[in-house]
Amino acid sequence: MIVIDAASPVPPFEQLRAQLAGRIQDRTLAVGARLPTIRRLAADLGLAVNTVGRAYRELEEAGLIETRGRAGSFVTAAGEQARERARQAAAAYAATVAALGLGADEALRIAEAALAAATHRPVADNPQRD
Amino acid sequence: MDGSGKDPRPGELRAARSWLARHGLGDTPPTPLLAARLAARWRARVVEQVLLALLIMTAAAVYAFGVLSGPGGSGPLVLLGGLVVALLAARWQVEAWVRRVDRRAGAALARRAAHPVQLGWRALLGRPHAACAAGIHAAALALAAGAFATGDTAVRRAAAVLLVALAGAAAAAVLQLRDLLRRPVVAEDEVSLTADVIMRIEDARESMSPGVVWSLPVILLLGPTFGWWSAVSVGLVPLGLAAVALVQLRAPSTAAMARRIVAP
Repeated sequence: MIVIDAASPVPPFEQLRAQLAGRIQDRTLAVGARLPTIRRLAADLGLAVNTVGRAYRELEEAGLIETRGRAGSFVTAAGEQARERARQAAAAYAATVAALGLGADEALRIAEAALAAATHRPVADNPQRD
Repeated sequence: MDGSGKDPRPGELRAARSWLARHGLGDTPPTPLLAARLAARWRARVVEQVLLALLIMTAAAVYAFGVLSGPGGSGPLVLLGGLVVALLAARWQVEAWVRRVDRRAGAALARRAAHPVQLGWRALLGRPHAACAAGIHAAALALAAGAFATGDTAVRRAAAVLLVALAGAAAAAVLQLRDLLRRPVVAEDEVSLTADVIMRIEDARESMSPGVVWSLPVILLLGPTFGWWSAVSVGLVPLGLAAVALVQLRAPSTAAMARRIVAP
């Protein structure tokens, strides 16, 4: 189920993108599953067509879905490769951090800030790291 | 509030509570949104039943008029064709009204929920119901075509009327199923999304219900001339009833199908 909260500070397109990406990555949406058309999902969620189109475009750029013309948009196998790409990027980041001599806590804070900026979410308070 | 901006009547809320309990959602209180949507559907269903009854009566009247006015001329058939188109247009208007009620109800929601996957006719109707409806319709069409091929003028006239009426009933069912697949979801959480799917499945099953299809041949082919077509048209009734009963017993309930769709 996808839920869009109009009162949320997170833009609707980002709510939609994040929820679909989450379901693709945790495999709730199987490879090959057909997503609703942009127009259909916009009508279901009470959103503008452009808003849903932007979310689909970003998912497509991330390789999580592919659009096959009039047949619609489908979950790609790339969704399963995304974790591996993320793991490789994390390993490269860890190597950089070690080479620069930064501590693990500071490196985690930098990574969290980057993640928050990328997903438009505030950094979660974590008093244990302060 | 419903689509007209009015609060639901106490009777509508009571009916919605009973509907929720029947579908295993009894621990959820009925919302004005659900009450309004169910009330709109029930009213629409009554109108649609009246329209189907009009189709049967019109077909019978056209057949009788043709018998009384003697052989020759395609006037009655053209008249029936026009009336079938008018009935389809009336049905379309009823569906458009239900869509308007849904749209207004949805516009008032602060949260909107939807399915992340595209729902097709298999998910909504299910193969057993689709096969049952298609089988009975095919049998009625084959009967009409077979009767049309006979040399008896009265039987040929009845078969022609039957073919037009069956085409009208099939067009009405297909158009409604297409509308159900395209109609936007109106839901704010998992319960209302499940209720939305249940309503959709019930509407789909109702629209494909073959009662009219097995009624028409009996009315038109059980005339003064008795032949194999009369026996088959009568036989179609128990056959259709048995098929529907079997499907009702074997196919999963609307609530089970809806839960499978919402939380796979």
